[in-house]
Amino acid sequence: MSRAFEQNQRGTGVNAAAGNAANADSAAAGSCVADIALLLEGTYPYVRGGVSSWVHQIISGLPEFRFAVIFVGGEPSLYGKAQYTFPPNVSHFETHYLLDNSAHTPKPRRGDPAAFAEMAALHEQMRASASCPHGAGKVGLSLDDMLNAFARLGGEGGISKTDFLFSEAAYDYISQQYRERCTEPSFVDYFWAVRTMHTPLFVLADIARKLPPVRMVHSISTGYAGLLGAMIRLQRHIPFALTEHGIYTKERKIDLAQATWIRDHNDDVSNTLHDEMGYIRGMWIKFFEQIGRIAYSQAQPIVSLYEGNRERQIADGAIAERTQVITNGINLQRYATALQKRPSGIPPVLGLIGRVVPIKDIKTFIRTMRILANARPDAEGWIVGPEDEDLSYVQECKDLVDSLGLQRNVKFLGFQNVAEILPQLGLMVLTSISEALPLVILEAFASGVPCVATDVGSCRELIEGSTAEDKAMGSAGAVVAIADPESTAQAALALLNDPERWQSAQRAGLQRVEKYYDDRMMFGAYRELYQATLASASALSAE
Amino acid sequence: MAGIGFEIRRILERDSFFAVLKAYGYAGLISGGPWVLSILGVMAIGLLSVALGTEQQAVNQFQICVTYLMAGSLILTGGLQLMFTRFVADRLYAHEPRIVLPNLLGALLLTTAVAAALSTLFVLVAFSGSALLRLLLIANFVVVCNLWLVLIFLSGMKAYQRIVRTLAAGYLLAILVSMALAGFGLEGLLTGILIGHAGLLFAFLHHVVREYPGQSLLRFDFLDQRKAFYSLFAMGVLYNLAVWVDKFIFWFVPYTSEAVIGPLRASIIYDLPIFLAYLFILPGMAVFLVRMEADFAEQYDRFYRAVREGDTLMHIEYRKDQMVYTARQGIYEIFKVQGLTVVLCLLWGRDLLHAIGISPLYIHLFYIDIVAVSVQVLLMAILNVMFYLDARREVLMLSAVFLISNIVFTLATLSLGAETFGYGFALSVTLTAFLGFFVLARKLRRLEYETFMLQR
Repeated sequence: MSRAFEQNQRGTGVNAAAGNAANADSAAAGSCVADIALLLEGTYPYVRGGVSSWVHQIISGLPEFRFAVIFVGGEPSLYGKAQYTFPPNVSHFETHYLLDNSAHTPKPRRGDPAAFAEMAALHEQMRASASCPHGAGKVGLSLDDMLNAFARLGGEGGISKTDFLFSEAAYDYISQQYRERCTEPSFVDYFWAVRTMHTPLFVLADIARKLPPVRMVHSISTGYAGLLGAMIRLQRHIPFALTEHGIYTKERKIDLAQATWIRDHNDDVSNTLHDEMGYIRGMWIKFFEQIGRIAYSQAQPIVSLYEGNRERQIADGAIAERTQVITNGINLQRYATALQKRPSGIPPVLGLIGRVVPIKDIKTFIRTMRILANARPDAEGWIVGPEDEDLSYVQECKDLVDSLGLQRNVKFLGFQNVAEILPQLGLMVLTSISEALPLVILEAFASGVPCVATDVGSCRELIEGSTAEDKAMGSAGAVVAIADPESTAQAALALLNDPERWQSAQRAGLQRVEKYYDDRMMFGAYRELYQATLASASALSAE
Repeated sequence: MAGIGFEIRRILERDSFFAVLKAYGYAGLISGGPWVLSILGVMAIGLLSVALGTEQQAVNQFQICVTYLMAGSLILTGGLQLMFTRFVADRLYAHEPRIVLPNLLGALLLTTAVAAALSTLFVLVAFSGSALLRLLLIANFVVVCNLWLVLIFLSGMKAYQRIVRTLAAGYLLAILVSMALAGFGLEGLLTGILIGHAGLLFAFLHHVVREYPGQSLLRFDFLDQRKAFYSLFAMGVLYNLAVWVDKFIFWFVPYTSEAVIGPLRASIIYDLPIFLAYLFILPGMAVFLVRMEADFAEQYDRFYRAVREGDTLMHIEYRKDQMVYTARQGIYEIFKVQGLTVVLCLLWGRDLLHAIGISPLYIHLFYIDIVAVSVQVLLMAILNVMFYLDARREVLMLSAVFLISNIVFTLATLSLGAETFGYGFALSVTLTAFLGFFVLARKLRRLEYETFMLQR
C-alpha cells in the first residue's frame, strides 16, 4: 500500500475501508476524508527517528480514528521512499515540498504594490510585538489581521507566489528592507535568505486551501507545520492541537548557530569580545520565533512530553491553561523478552542508541570510552544507529576513534533491532546536547538496563524521577553534564563496578517505566484528547 | 572581445599621443578592418585591373559578385556568428577551453556544408556562364562564410600587430594574384580574391588552433539546446538582413537597377555612395572597440563581481551607476567622433567625390548615407551593451524593427522619387537607434531587479 502512496503526491481516499471513529459524529465524519490530519514536518513517513516512530505508534494505537498524513518537506531530493507502511486507519496522504520552485519560470512582472504595502504594515506589527516582552498568547496581530495575512498569501487580490518570487514590487520591498535594517554587507545573502524563508509560506497557504475536509488538525511541531495548523484553524474553524517533542524553535536556533550555509562576515579584525550573531542568522531565528508564536496562539491543547518543555512553551508564548503534559510510553510487553534474555552479571558494554549526528554528541561518548577503557580495558562502546544523515560527522567520529586508539573498544553497528541489542548492554549512555523524551531510555529501563544521560530534556526526570512518589523509587542510573567525558566515564564506572548499585538502578528503571511510561497510558491520554477536541469542534465553529 | 580591449588599454596606459593614436588605429582596424579592408581591397583590385587593361565590364561584374558574396555570407552566417560567440564565451567562462576548437571545427564543417549546398543550388539554377566561373563563385562563398566565423577568434588573439599584418597580407595577396590573373578577366579576379580570403582563413585558423588546443576533432555542442541560444541565431539573421535589405530592394526594382551578371543586379545610383560611406565608420568603430570592449567590459565585470561576491546593495548600485556611466560615455564619444566625421564629410564630400572621379550627382545620397552609417555605429554600440546584459529579447525586437522599418521606409522612398533615396535606410537605422536608447535605458534602470529576481 505504501507504494501506491508514493506514486501520487496527493492521494486521496486511499483507505476508504478504514473504520469509523468510535465516538465520531457520523454525519460530520462522513464528509471528511479523515478525523485528524497530522501535520508532519520533515519526519513521518519518510525519515526514521523518534518522532516518526511516535507518530506510527499513535496511529496504530488508536485504530478508532481515521488519520490523514500531511507530510511537509524541504526539497524533494532530501527524501527517499517512505520508511513506514501505513496502518489501515490512515485514510489520506499528501506530500508537499516547501522549497520546490521548479514549476515556476522566471518572468518579469510588476506585482501589486498595494498588496506589498499591506504586507509591509503586517511585518511592522510583527516586529513591534517581537520587541516588547512576549506575553502569553501575544503575536502582535489580531485574529482578523492574521486571517487577512494568510488569505493574501497567494489569494485573490494578494501576493501570488510568482509575484513574490519574480515581481518588481517584491524586489522593491526586499531591497528597501535591506537598506533599512540589514547590518550585514552581503545583499545577495540577504536576498536569498528572505526568499528561502518566505517561499514556504505560499506553499503552506496552498496546502491549507486545498486540504480536503477533516475534523481537526494535529501538528507534531511548531515551525512551518505549526503555522500550517494555525492557518487551517483560522480559515476553517476546526480545532488545532499541537504536540511538541523537542522544542522546534530551540532546535532551529541550535541548527542556525551551527549553520555553515550562512556566510559570516565578521573577520578577525572586527571580532569583538561578545561575538554577536549575524543579522541574517538573527533574522532566521526571529522568523521561527514568530511563526512559533502564531502556532501557539491558535493551538489548543498544546502538549509537551514533560514539565520542562511545558514551561518552555509558556515562556515562548503559549497560554499556560492550554498546555498539558502527556509523556511518551512504550509497549512494555515487547521488552519483557529483552529482560528475560539478559545474561547474569553486568556486561562491560556501553550502548549509545541514536543517529550519528552532532546533536547526539557522539564525540563525547567516544572520549568517555577512552577514559573508561583506561580503567576497564575490557569495556566496549557500541554506537547503534543510522549513519546516513551527516556523512562528514560520521567520518570525524571514526577518525576520533582511530586517533584515540579505541579501535578494539568502540564499534559502529549501524541501524539495529533495539530489542536485540539491549540485553547485551551493561549501560545505556546518552551524551546528547538536546533531547526531548528519549524513548531509548524507556526501552532500556524496560529491558533492565540502567542509563547514564546528559542533563537535557526529560532525562533527569526519567532517571531520577519527577514527583516525590516517583523520586522515591530511586535513581535508575546517573545524570551528567553535557560534553563532560570525565564525569560521564566516572558515573559509568561507578555503576559497572558496583553490582549492588547497578541492580538497584535496574530495579528503579523497571519500576518507573511500568508505573509512568506504559504506552497504554499514552494512548488513553490521546484518545481522551482527540475525543475532547473533536467534541469542541462545534463550539469552535460557533465562535 | 575583452581580450583585445585589455590589450588596447595597456597601450593606452603608456599615455603618449602616439600611443593613443596607435591604440585607436589598431582598434579601428580590428573592429572595422575586415569590412573596410575588403571594400578597399575590392576597389583597389578594380582600379588596378582597369589600369592594367581589363575591360570595365569584367571589373563591374567582379565587384558585384563580391558584393553579393559578402551580403549573402553575412546574412547566412550572421546567426551562427552570434550564437557561436556566446557559446565560446560561456565555455571559456566554464573553464572548458578544450572543447572550443572541436566545436569551431564542427561549426566550420556545418557552415561549409550549408554554404556549399545553398550556393551550388543557386548557381546551378540561376547562373549561366563558364563552369569555372560557377565553381569560383561557390568556392568564394564557402570561404567567406567560414572566414566570418573564424574572425570571431580575433578576440582571443592579443597580438594585434600580427592580426593587422595578417589582414594586410591577405588583401595584398588578393590584389597581387588578381593583378597577375587580370588577363583572365572576371575568373582571374575572382581567383585572386578567393586566394586572398583563403589565405586569411587558414592563417587565422592556424592561430586559433595554437591558442585553443582541443582534445577531440569534431564536436557539435554549440547546437545543443541546453548550451545554445537559438534566439541569438534569429537576431544575427534579422540584423544582417536588415542591414542589407534596402540594397536588395534597390537591386531588384527595375528602374533603379540593371542586370550585371546572370541574376545579379546592381544599382549604380544607390550602391557606390553607401559603400563609400562605410569607409568613414572607422573612427567610430575604433572608439566603439576601446570604450565598449575595454572600459565598459571592465565596469560590467565589477558590477557582476559585486553581485556574486556578496557586496552591499549600495555598492552594487554604485557599480551599476559606474557601468551606466561608462556606457553613456562610450556612446557619447562615438556620437562625438562620428559626428565630427559627418561634419568633415559634409564639408569636403564634394571635393572628395571629385577627387576619386565620382559624379557630384551622388553627393546628396552620399551625405545621407554618411549620417546613416554613423548612426549604425551607435546602434551597434547599443546592441553590444545589450548583449553584455544578455538582453536577448530586446535585441531581437530591435533587429525586427530595424528590418521591417528598413523595408517599409525604403519602399516609401522608391515611390517618393530619387531625391529621397537613402533616407529610407537612414530613417530606419535612426528609428532603431532611438528605440534602442529607450530600451537600453529601461533595461539598465531595471538591471538589479532583473539580476536578482529573475532567478529560479
